Amino acid sequence: MNRPQTPGRNRAVAVTGAGVVCSIAGSVAELGTALRQGRCGVTRYDDPDTPSIRVAATLRDFSWQAALEPFMCDYPDLGRRAGRVLNTNNPSTALSACAAIQAYVQAGLGDGSERLEDTGLIVAGSNLDQKYMADNWHRFRKTGRWIDPKYALSFHDSNQLGSLSEILALRGAGCTLGAASASGNAALFNAVQWIRSGFMQKCLVVGACSRFSALELDAFSLLGAATSGERHENPIQACRPFDMDHDGFVWGEASACLVLESPDSVRARNTKVLGEILGGSLLLDAHHLPDPSVEGEVRAMRSALESADLQPEQIGYVNAHGTSSPLGDRTECQALKAVFGEQSDGPWINSTKSLVGHCMSAAGVLEVLCSLIQMNDGFLHPNLNLERPIDRDLRFAGAESRAFEAEYALSNGFGFGGINSTLVIGRAGRP
Amino acid sequence: MKFSQQEIFEVVKQNSIKVLMDVDPSLITLDTSLTELGANSIDRVEVVMYSMEQLGIEVPRTEFRGVRDIRTLVDLLHSYCR
Repeated sequence: MNRPQTPGRNRAVAVTGAGVVCSIAGSVAELGTALRQGRCGVTRYDDPDTPSIRVAATLRDFSWQAALEPFMCDYPDLGRRAGRVLNTNNPSTALSACAAIQAYVQAGLGDGSERLEDTGLIVAGSNLDQKYMADNWHRFRKTGRWIDPKYALSFHDSNQLGSLSEILALRGAGCTLGAASASGNAALFNAVQWIRSGFMQKCLVVGACSRFSALELDAFSLLGAATSGERHENPIQACRPFDMDHDGFVWGEASACLVLESPDSVRARNTKVLGEILGGSLLLDAHHLPDPSVEGEVRAMRSALESADLQPEQIGYVNAHGTSSPLGDRTECQALKAVFGEQSDGPWINSTKSLVGHCMSAAGVLEVLCSLIQMNDGFLHPNLNLERPIDRDLRFAGAESRAFEAEYALSNGFGFGGINSTLVIGRAGRP
Repeated sequence: MKFSQQEIFEVVKQNSIKVLMDVDPSLITLDTSLTELGANSIDRVEVVMYSMEQLGIEVPRTEFRGVRDIRTLVDLLHSYCR
């Protein structure tokens, strides 16, 4: 059997489009600037129903109509379909559409000339719009009747599939894919398999916004998974992955989308490549609780490296899962040292969650996008609030951005219930 | 709450525009039906639900079987506004 000349090259899947809406950016260009500046989207969260949670990286004053305005002139049909579909839809779906349209247009699919029967759609995440459901339940209990007339359609996560496929005229395969905090990675990995096998030529992977109600936020607080944010005076100090003062994740709202594409399709369409996914893993721990496992995380990273035909020393950067939860951060540090060695000459490491919070279902897709931006633009974004690292050997990013070079990166996503996933990413334009 | 038939028509018209978006408002008359304006079954439920909520009334679902056009819809809603 012939071995690939370049690591993972013959099985690489290209990234040809990207879109994002999060607390620090409404486009990929804005995200690049915000990452470089180390801007933090965590602010005070004042919901009288959730006294246990005082910080979050939410979207403020977001309007899908305003977000889609720039596309209306050049893509009137797309704009009309979006308006019609999103008019009385739920907010998580509208956010997904905004990220997906950016990615779709960037990938050159917006002019309507492509045959999109070979283009799939995977919406990452489950239980996506709990806030919409809770609001309707509240109205139902209060009035006995005035719920959203489309509730029976919109409460299904799969509503996003129909909505996005209508807006984007997609006619390939589609599904939602839930894997807790590993949803984004799991969906991307699944799309990679669809493309490698020839089942689909292209696939949009949307990390959907997990919109939590007071119930979910209080439940995370009850288990000690989320920080109250009260230990730190300034909300931007609350999320501190790998710092000794970390005390739980900060919830973030975001939606992100990547278009994945086969090398054949890239050649045929002569499309610009933003980077590649070279391999990945998606493995269970045989454990249903939120107890992270060093062994499971090591297995995920090693398996991903193996699938990409890469050695640990070829990895220049790791976008850590790093939620700012004490047990999770500690476990990931041990796993990183098991994979990359105890010496401090291993890959650079940061956690995007220090800037945008834990974006749950969207996290994996958003963090792969952030990894590509950093590798392609040659900078490492800060790991905010890392004042006293819990590990002195690992090469963590500092308080400021710095120049760096990495050809290959890992992006980790570890979900409640022992769902471990790692993706191997290559930057654009590698020799 | 008492509403005139004209006021109820305006409520139905505004909700039709809200739900159907690109409909020409001048086409919304008492003699057209929501279906003729391009509404599907889900759109019709939305227009009716939003209108009932605004008018503060509840019409049993079975009553809508006899609705043929916007005139009969307005008449039905009006009969519950008294």
